[in-house]
Amino acid sequence: MSGRRFIFESTRPTEFVDITDRLRETVRGAGLRNGRLHLQSLHTTVGLALNENEPLLLRDFQGLLERLAPAGAGYEHDDFTRRFDIPLDEPVNGHAHCRQILLNAFATLMVEDGDLVLGRWQSVFAVELDGPRHRELAIQLEGEFASQGRESAEALSRRDAADSLVEIELARQLMVDPEPIATPMRRLIEAGGKRLRPRLVQLTSGIGPDSDPLRAAELAAAVELLHNATLVHDDYVDESTHRRGRPTVAALEGPERAIAVGDYYFAKATRLIAQMGNAGVTSAVAEALEAICAAQIDDVALRGTYPGDRESYFRVIRGKTASLFAAACGSGALLAGAPGDVVAALKRFGELVGTAFQMADDVIDFSPSSGKTVGLDIRQRVISLPLIYAAEDRAVGGEVRRLLAGSLGDAEVGRVTELVKSTDALPRVREEATVLVEEAVRELSAVELDGLRPALVGVARAAVDRTS
Amino acid sequence: MTIQAPPRELDRLEELWTDGLADAYDAYLAAVGHFDAAIQARLALAAALVEVGVRLQGLGGRAAPPTTLLMGDLCLSRGSRLLADNAPLSVQVAFARAIESLSSAAAASAPAPATRQLLLAALSTKP
Repeated sequence: MSGRRFIFESTRPTEFVDITDRLRETVRGAGLRNGRLHLQSLHTTVGLALNENEPLLLRDFQGLLERLAPAGAGYEHDDFTRRFDIPLDEPVNGHAHCRQILLNAFATLMVEDGDLVLGRWQSVFAVELDGPRHRELAIQLEGEFASQGRESAEALSRRDAADSLVEIELARQLMVDPEPIATPMRRLIEAGGKRLRPRLVQLTSGIGPDSDPLRAAELAAAVELLHNATLVHDDYVDESTHRRGRPTVAALEGPERAIAVGDYYFAKATRLIAQMGNAGVTSAVAEALEAICAAQIDDVALRGTYPGDRESYFRVIRGKTASLFAAACGSGALLAGAPGDVVAALKRFGELVGTAFQMADDVIDFSPSSGKTVGLDIRQRVISLPLIYAAEDRAVGGEVRRLLAGSLGDAEVGRVTELVKSTDALPRVREEATVLVEEAVRELSAVELDGLRPALVGVARAAVDRTS
Repeated sequence: MTIQAPPRELDRLEELWTDGLADAYDAYLAAVGHFDAAIQARLALAAALVEVGVRLQGLGGRAAPPTTLLMGDLCLSRGSRLLADNAPLSVQVAFARAIESLSSAAAASAPAPATRQLLLAALSTKP
């Protein structure tokens, strides 16, 4: 049995906070292979729910709770003249307690093969009913744990604290921004995401004489903001309607707003990083951002010769994905004052892990249990290694290329997906990604990492060993 | 005027040079005389890239089509990298704040100062 606390900051009076990705990370980090995750709210105005993360549905739930227990409906709990020993800051929140009694305060989730057992549309929510507040959930994991790669309880506790610092910093930064800008970004940030880049910043900023968790959290949050700023523009370019189960800025608020939001957080993140006063860090991140933008141009240009070739694929993903992973690893170490050889090794590590991460993402695009729409990359003509391999396949390559050359409706996307699965493309890409991760791990072998090697290796392996 | 920045800085953006980038560069070059001579050209080019970048994107106006937006993004990111590598911290911060101000005005559909005016002010920021 392993126990820990899950901390988050809510930002609105009523809020459905999707915690699925973080729970999945917790299961993976703990090495729980088969068993159960028990989750319990530690508050009388926070509930738990298992349902679909669809924005309009969440508004329906909120409306339902408000109808069943309206605010200000004369709750006896709010009559302070009849209560004793109430604190000075006691809130008027009878409605929030009544709403919570309609929800669960605890949940048990099954774990199989190292992952939560969830249906395609199921997400786990912590339901804030009296926010915004600092909140905690208790978690216990029980069952069969993998013996290799398992982080110690102390390491997990350190990691949870570091994760919380980043979430607090992200919430703090969004709180001071103008609403038309902050609201769409908050929607994107709160929808989750794997937070791999900030985690890499935090881990690598623990390697060196100037290690400082607060400064690391500031840098990590800025890098995450920068990453999300690029996603806002990408979604407009790719005509994506949803990301992380929520409407994209371009789809909901329009392309003009998407451009403004992306630009604002690009500039703000750049400023926050510059103000940290470490020229090496500023340059490393700026270089990565330029690489991302150049690769995005290449990616769109390659859609004319879709699905492209292996060489073009690696050139694009090195820029689009791996460059920021490399910058995250290098900048964390630079911030902590790590020696040059360590910084260089971590940059190479980050680039390899980022490349492998993107390859795993391409494979997941073909998995119906990932929670994403199968074949989304194909619809958007995003360059993808399994497609490239399938298009080279002797038996089905001709049909794949012919289908990709035409318009891509549901039937064509379904057929291409079938054809890709009939080849060895998916296991081949996964295998190649695993090889890259092991190469990344070897990069760490010759440098002193202040005991952080197991955690970095864990992140690297989790980047490819995932189903969502 | 002959550009003094390395050719790398115009990679993929060559066509923009005759499409407003050179004029903007000239205008900013006249405003960077108080910096060390070794970085003047880079700072002027950075400012010109930012100006042309937000214009290409359509920030504050009608959104650019995706491929043009990406060119705008590349201009902004290259300008930002030039600043990160060459500008004093105060100038980097002033440039970022100028873009924040332009984009928040755009998001609120509010009037914003002219980009060039904002960037010239950023270049005159005291270290």
